Amino acid sequence: MTSLYLLIPIGVCVVLGAIVVFLWAASDGQFDGLDEVSTRLPDDE
Amino acid sequence: MDGGRDWTVFDRPELRSGIGTVTPAGCEVLLALDGMHCANCASRAEAVLAGQASDVRLNLAARTVGFCFQPQRTRLSDLLRMLEQSGLEPRVLAGDDTAAHAARARRLDFARIGVATICAMQVMMLAWPSYFGVRADPGIAQLLRWAQFIVATPGVLWAGWPFFAGGWRAARARALDMNVPVALALGVAFAASAVRTAQGSGDLYFDTATMFVWFLTLGRFLEGRTRARAGEHLRLLARRRALTAQRRAGHQLETVAIGQIRAGDVVVVGSGDALPADGRLLENAADLDEALLSGESRPVLRQVDQPVLAGSMNLGEAPLAFRVERIGGETVLAQITGLLDRAQSAKPKLQQLADRMAAHFVAIILLLASLGFILALARGSNADQSFNIALAVLVASCPCALSLAVPAALAAATSKLARAGLLVANADALQALAAVDTVLFDKTGTLTLPALRLLRTHPLADAGSVRCTHIAAALERGSRHPIAAAFGACASPLLAQDVRHQAGVGVSGLVDGRRYWLGAAERAPFPPATPLRAGEDGETSIVLCDEARAIAAFALGAAVRAEAAALMEELARRGLQLELLSGDAEETVRVLAQRLNIARYAARQSPASKLSRLQQLQAQGRRVLAVGDGLNDAPLLAGADVSACMPLGAALTQARADLLLLGDSLAPIALALDVARSAQSRIRENLSWALLYNLLVLPLAMTGHLAPWLAAAGMSCSSLLVVANALRMGAGSRRMPLPHAFIQPATVH
Repeated sequence: MTSLYLLIPIGVCVVLGAIVVFLWAASDGQFDGLDEVSTRLPDDE
Repeated sequence: MDGGRDWTVFDRPELRSGIGTVTPAGCEVLLALDGMHCANCASRAEAVLAGQASDVRLNLAARTVGFCFQPQRTRLSDLLRMLEQSGLEPRVLAGDDTAAHAARARRLDFARIGVATICAMQVMMLAWPSYFGVRADPGIAQLLRWAQFIVATPGVLWAGWPFFAGGWRAARARALDMNVPVALALGVAFAASAVRTAQGSGDLYFDTATMFVWFLTLGRFLEGRTRARAGEHLRLLARRRALTAQRRAGHQLETVAIGQIRAGDVVVVGSGDALPADGRLLENAADLDEALLSGESRPVLRQVDQPVLAGSMNLGEAPLAFRVERIGGETVLAQITGLLDRAQSAKPKLQQLADRMAAHFVAIILLLASLGFILALARGSNADQSFNIALAVLVASCPCALSLAVPAALAAATSKLARAGLLVANADALQALAAVDTVLFDKTGTLTLPALRLLRTHPLADAGSVRCTHIAAALERGSRHPIAAAFGACASPLLAQDVRHQAGVGVSGLVDGRRYWLGAAERAPFPPATPLRAGEDGETSIVLCDEARAIAAFALGAAVRAEAAALMEELARRGLQLELLSGDAEETVRVLAQRLNIARYAARQSPASKLSRLQQLQAQGRRVLAVGDGLNDAPLLAGADVSACMPLGAALTQARADLLLLGDSLAPIALALDVARSAQSRIRENLSWALLYNLLVLPLAMTGHLAPWLAAAGMSCSSLLVVANALRMGAGSRRMPLPHAFIQPATVH
């Protein structure tokens, strides 16, 4: 049970880290134009 | 620019010309409104600009507003200040800022959903002991409380920030919108949970708050996405806009900015580059990719002197040269994009009604939540239980579904029609279209192909047939009427002066110093001595007169559109009354009406008599859809309950029709009727569901039989159900058909 005193804060840190990484990816445009990806190759052709 | 909030800098003329476009009507500017998150925010922006600016175009999806103002009467700084005071956070946009701004707004919305999703999932995982009544070690329980607080904070305060900001702005403007109860519910739930976390006792609502934010942001995102999808095909066109061009100056080529090109310039476009303006091809034929403009996936061969459009791509190995005719906002590409923005930003009357209902509903909710709290206390409940009841009422009955019911359905309908090649240019058109029971059709250019051909020339006097044809071609040169196209192939060496067009009657002008008249035989100043042979199967006869007599008659023919007969059958099957109104001769109109099974028809109709027939039908209580080409039937289109037209090239903006058929086909009209009726059904279903849901859950919440988390789930599911019901309509083909109405026939190979 005492391990939870360590695991819960670690879990919270992981969540906060995931949020930071997600925000960075979103602001970098990684999720822009997801609909176009499927048609990009045929369009280029 | 925004930092010092010194808006007066934008009143300086030299700066104003850099951020706006000066037109005869005034100065047109485009602003970003970062604080505009919902329909109510848009209404506030409209209210601020009312009376101060004209041609206001709000785009909720892109969070922009475009308008025209008179610099002599109104200062831009005053408008910016008023928008800022309304909490709309204005920013001045110039040129390509618009697309970048829209992209930033989309990214931010997506980021908020992502953060809300992560936080809602994790908070629920951290709250699981309380769901199952697990008695955890007090230290662990308190640690879980703090962990929930830390994870919920970005999920509620950052992802849910638009609701707090919207609620605050609405409160400051003393207006009630759905942001008010949402912000109150979120704020109260989060604050109460934070206090209880610090105290180490009591129920927490972090999971309720984060789940609430997630559902709401998802609902808004889906609605905004549906709205934006209505124009996604056409928005692709904007990406092919050239920034520079190679202009021919003598024997040299100079690279100039797109804004420096003028009509009459000769521009050279390299292989693989996009055309920067509309014009006519010079020197050599060229293969063009018009896929984004017309949907035609194969290369299109354009011959010398044929029109070419901005946004087309030169597929040939060699550069092509063309003479510029239309630039910037006058190009077909810009007009389509402008009409699309206008249609997307206008708010239909039905939505205005739903917004007003939602505002009244919010006031009732706030009263009921307070009443629930007081009654619970009076019944002997403790403060925690009373608070739960008030929170449940606030959350459960938030009128989000009511606010989404209309825009989600209309956005899905508009999107579906845009994919079928029909642009909804008037926000109220779909509502009017659903009630239509009569359809009036124009003939030439509508039921028949716009390109008439000259079949025969009959000289009626001693003038030769070639001479007469040259005179007629000179009179019709430059006109966009379908009859003019019949003479387009005739390279007349003559030049007409003082040309006067009389809608529905004919055209007159001076050729070699003599006045000639060309038009319908019945309206000719000098009728032919011998009656003309009646038209056959779509044939039309027109007469050329000089100053004393009729000197020639021309037989013109136009093919009936291939899809016309099937469309008439479809419309008749839907119980619609069909009528054909044409300015042509009786026999010509009768033959066409019989061929298409149109029971009612009227020939020799002037624009005024068409309008008169329309008014007669409307007086009988009929709801009329008028379909025309937008050239000589403008009064009919303007007077009809709803109008559709197949505009020809530059006539796009002049044709003030509610529906624009971008493809060279009438077929989308049947689809438009189905989609409009379907949209009305969805709106009715959505509004009924929103009202029914609130009537069901309010008594449960008021009597304490609905926990706040269940209330949040119910309300959110109700909103998502409304959006999903609207999205059902959007299923179907994604391909946009060919808008060849903009382009003269060309060879496809």
